[in-house]
Amino acid sequence: MFYTPKDAVFSRVSRRKFLEMGGAAASALGVGSLTLGLGSTITRSRVQAQSSDEAKWKQYAGSKLVFMSENTPPSFAIRDNIKSFYDLTGIDVTILTDDLPVVQQKVGIDLRGGKADYVLNYVQDKPIGAPFGDFYADMTPLFGDNTLPQDPDGYGDDAWFENFLSACGRFYKEGKIVALPYDCAVACTFYRQDLFEANSKDFEAEYGYRLEFTPETTWKNVTDMAAFFKKAKEAGKDVPYGYAQHHGNFAWTTQLDIQRMLFANGRWMDWDIDDVYGSQTPGKTNWGDAQSIEIMQRFKDLADVSHPDNLANGTLELNTVYQSGNIAMQVQYHEFAASIEDETKSRAAGGKTAYAVCPKGEPSWIKNGGQAVNGCNCGIGGIGINGNASEDMKRAAYIFAIWSVSRDNQFNVLKGLGGTPTRKSVLAMPEVQAAMNRPTTMPNALTFDAVYDKGIKNPNFVLGPKIPQANEYYSILAGEVQKCVSGEQSAEDTCKSLQTQLDELNNAG
Amino acid sequence: MTDTALPYDRAGGRSESLFRVRQILDSVESRPAASGVTEPIKLNPKPSRAYFYWLMAPAIILLACISLYPFFWMIYMSLHDVELGSAVWNNFENFTKLATDTRYLNGWMLLFQYSAMCLLLQIGIGVFLAVALNGSRYEKFLVTAFLMPMMMAPIVAGLVWYFLYNGTFGWYHWLFQSLGILGAKSILASPTTAMYGIVIVDVWQWTPLITLITLAGLKRVPQDQLEANMVDGASPLRNFFSVTLPNLYPVLLIAVMLRFMDNFRFIDSILVLTGGGPGNATKILPVYLFEVSFKFFKLGRGAAIALTLLVVTIILGMILVKVFDRQNRGKA
Amino acid sequence: MASRDIVHYDTPLSKAFRWFSAVFIGFYLIWTLLPIFVMFVSSFKDLLEAFKIPAVGDWMGAAVFFDFSPTLTHYENLFRNLNFTSYIVNSLVAAGGSALISVVLGSMCAYSLSRIEFRGKSDLFFWIISTRMAPVVAVMVPLYAIFRSLDLVGTLPGLILAYTTFNLPFAIWILKGFFDNVPYAIEEAQMVDGATRSQAFMSILPLVAPGIGAFLVLCILFAWNDFLFAAIIGSGGAKTLPVATRELVQPQNIQWGSIMAAGVVTTLPMMLLGLVIRRYLVTGLTMGAVKE
Repeated sequence: MFYTPKDAVFSRVSRRKFLEMGGAAASALGVGSLTLGLGSTITRSRVQAQSSDEAKWKQYAGSKLVFMSENTPPSFAIRDNIKSFYDLTGIDVTILTDDLPVVQQKVGIDLRGGKADYVLNYVQDKPIGAPFGDFYADMTPLFGDNTLPQDPDGYGDDAWFENFLSACGRFYKEGKIVALPYDCAVACTFYRQDLFEANSKDFEAEYGYRLEFTPETTWKNVTDMAAFFKKAKEAGKDVPYGYAQHHGNFAWTTQLDIQRMLFANGRWMDWDIDDVYGSQTPGKTNWGDAQSIEIMQRFKDLADVSHPDNLANGTLELNTVYQSGNIAMQVQYHEFAASIEDETKSRAAGGKTAYAVCPKGEPSWIKNGGQAVNGCNCGIGGIGINGNASEDMKRAAYIFAIWSVSRDNQFNVLKGLGGTPTRKSVLAMPEVQAAMNRPTTMPNALTFDAVYDKGIKNPNFVLGPKIPQANEYYSILAGEVQKCVSGEQSAEDTCKSLQTQLDELNNAG
Repeated sequence: MTDTALPYDRAGGRSESLFRVRQILDSVESRPAASGVTEPIKLNPKPSRAYFYWLMAPAIILLACISLYPFFWMIYMSLHDVELGSAVWNNFENFTKLATDTRYLNGWMLLFQYSAMCLLLQIGIGVFLAVALNGSRYEKFLVTAFLMPMMMAPIVAGLVWYFLYNGTFGWYHWLFQSLGILGAKSILASPTTAMYGIVIVDVWQWTPLITLITLAGLKRVPQDQLEANMVDGASPLRNFFSVTLPNLYPVLLIAVMLRFMDNFRFIDSILVLTGGGPGNATKILPVYLFEVSFKFFKLGRGAAIALTLLVVTIILGMILVKVFDRQNRGKA
Repeated sequence: MASRDIVHYDTPLSKAFRWFSAVFIGFYLIWTLLPIFVMFVSSFKDLLEAFKIPAVGDWMGAAVFFDFSPTLTHYENLFRNLNFTSYIVNSLVAAGGSALISVVLGSMCAYSLSRIEFRGKSDLFFWIISTRMAPVVAVMVPLYAIFRSLDLVGTLPGLILAYTTFNLPFAIWILKGFFDNVPYAIEEAQMVDGATRSQAFMSILPLVAPGIGAFLVLCILFAWNDFLFAAIIGSGGAKTLPVATRELVQPQNIQWGSIMAAGVVTTLPMMLLGLVIRRYLVTGLTMGAVKE
């Protein structure tokens, strides 16, 4: 979903090898589309319910499909592995990858213009799904179709991690499913055990409790830790900063960053809407209430003791800062673990880093009477089928979609490029279970306990807000929060300004 | 353009051959008869006019398709709530809402602020540099060296500067810190300095253009007048302000307009450096427009913003053409 | 002929000015070239070497900038693994194609505009140049929709056409100035000798050829350096160098070495071309307002 740590690639495949694979795929792509254009074509041989599985996989042999995806590891991994899909089905899939904003724009015009240049789309839950969900094909009729190959694990809610199917597949209502979970990025805490241990005594002397990170560690503790490290660093001690936030120029990650803190403290949400399905008419926002002002202030206080480059560092840059040993802790997306564990690129590798659930809410900060939880959020990328495509094209696309999210494929991606599984059955595989402890061949698996067993479980997980105006909401929010963090605007003014702008955005003023 | 390039173009006196402002709006009266052409250009006899129209047609038709058609489409979109495929008339709401859109108004303000800062610095440095360079033994070499940033794709320039500014490993960040200009926060990490960050990049890339233009202008300053003043005991400084600078005004005005319009046109490096942040501090109007159209997908509102931007551009363009024109008449 | 030549006597002030200018020029030269130099050098460093930086205020430590063992990995990476060869080809075809179309159609149009008068000509001319001034972002959405319906998105012909939106008006505008400087008498004489209109037109082309050649190069430069059109209309099947360079930021962490190498690959040819057409550069960049 977000930027992909390049280093994620290298756990198994050597860098050279990976780049060669990518390059070959990219050149095939470049030349192919140059000569053939981008159109999808369909050729079909009829199959019956009684036909063999092989015949069902092969029924669209000779067809061409175009998949517009974000530049994420699964997309690269699948592109590298596309030959096995071709061998299985005879369908030629062209995978185009772009930056999320470009993907959004192209996919948007395609969908809304009634065209189907990109039969298959990467449906990032909020940035793409929320505004365009209505334009995707409903997959439910295809799930039970016995003239199509089907995944033995099925597609029910149980097959995926909790809420994942709804997150990227259901928009504003039950029933229709427009995408299958393809990859995910779930937040968890990365921290430097070595630094925590080394400084524990000093910390305890000053704050009266041990410097350690547990599921009970609150945002207030995190602020203490950040302040402690900052003070020590400024006193000339050889320690990095304690913490850093996600700002930089990608508004969505700024929103996710403050959302975790807001949700942790009393499960506060921007709108009183269904968190799983979202709402097309969210109504009046909760921004501006006492709870939001409190947390905005706390978020700023934390920023003040965090890495000074907060406002220039996006998610990816932040990870570089952590890799280079310049911060002791970050709340980061679990797909980045692979890049942290790469000895050649990271000073935080080799067992120095531990992974834990996101920090918990601080009871004394909660004004709305809510619960203190380990607020955790995510981006879940789905693979969806363009609703404008012809019936046969949809069926052919479906074959690719279920293949790309199958257990074996997800396992391959995890092994190769450091992917992020969405199917429960991947986690159940013995190799994956083994990889969840050091030493590991799949570094991302080190986070799985924090992510899949704790973070995404109720009551910690916040999925929304799913609203059609999601992207503008991110931009407004990021702009205002950054004004507050930089000290240009008080917490109260920020929340009030957000209230006015967001209510106007949703015509709820 | 030189005489070798155009043997028929033997334009007037010494200074003119080095510097000429071309006639822009073509009319018979303003055609520079003084340009040394042996015979004024005649209007064509009627019979061959069709030939010229045919010759013109492909370019005009192509331009109409790729510029006029999108333009009308834009007007249409700006008046509707656009869903591509469905467009609902919304009573100029796209426009009326702009009046209360703080990000839009802020975008204009920042655009002017950004342009003003860039231009002041570029003109200040650029003119000084030209004066310092003018006639120097190394002029040719130095000017060539100064040209280099302009040849760089803005997106690449943005990436290189992003690398230099980086708070963790950026050399310029180290330099700024070591000089005591900046603290630990890198230049792009604070709303108060981020604007300077993007201004610096623009100044780096485009100051040489001002220098080049000024150099060309300097060659045109009447030397005899300078010498006469000298003999009368005027100081070089006074000479600069009373003779040189007034002669440079027109070219500088042109330079200002061109740079100003380029700030409307190109946002590549800003997109890489800050994307408009932090806290909207660098969200100049074209960046906001980019967001509205390509991130929020509000095509109607985007078209309305684009139109307002276009109107201002066209007004600037008209002024520019007028300036070109006056230049010509003055010379003719 | 330069202003300083006539000041053959030195006053303390002019001396000071000269010293100050020399220092200023020196600094400016460093300031101009340093980023390019850093880009160039960094493209030969591996990642960890590129991240080496001295402590704040440690001026002597700046020597670590040169403390590296040059490697060609990043270039190898670009060409062997990332397929930059085909991006170069795309860039060349797109930029060259649009420059060619623009100059051919542009000279036909400019020639006619230069030779005849008709009502509304100045309006037409203003319209032509205003299309060149229009903010790229502003016209992108409708343009994309049109290209989309013609199936031109993601193809080289599409990109060529997109670049023509700004190169063609530019070419017309500049070339008209060239033709204005060629007296009509030449064609007239040719036609008296029995040449057809077209032959007469052809006969004057050699006179403007050097200028046209230079502006062909300038059109290539504008198109080559473009990012927004390439990213939105070209990407996919017609990825150009600037877009490919930008893409190195995201999917592969920040591959600074490769980005710098890609920067060099993108910039170097244009710098060389810039040298070749230096004489015309000012004219071109000021849309013909200023000539050197």
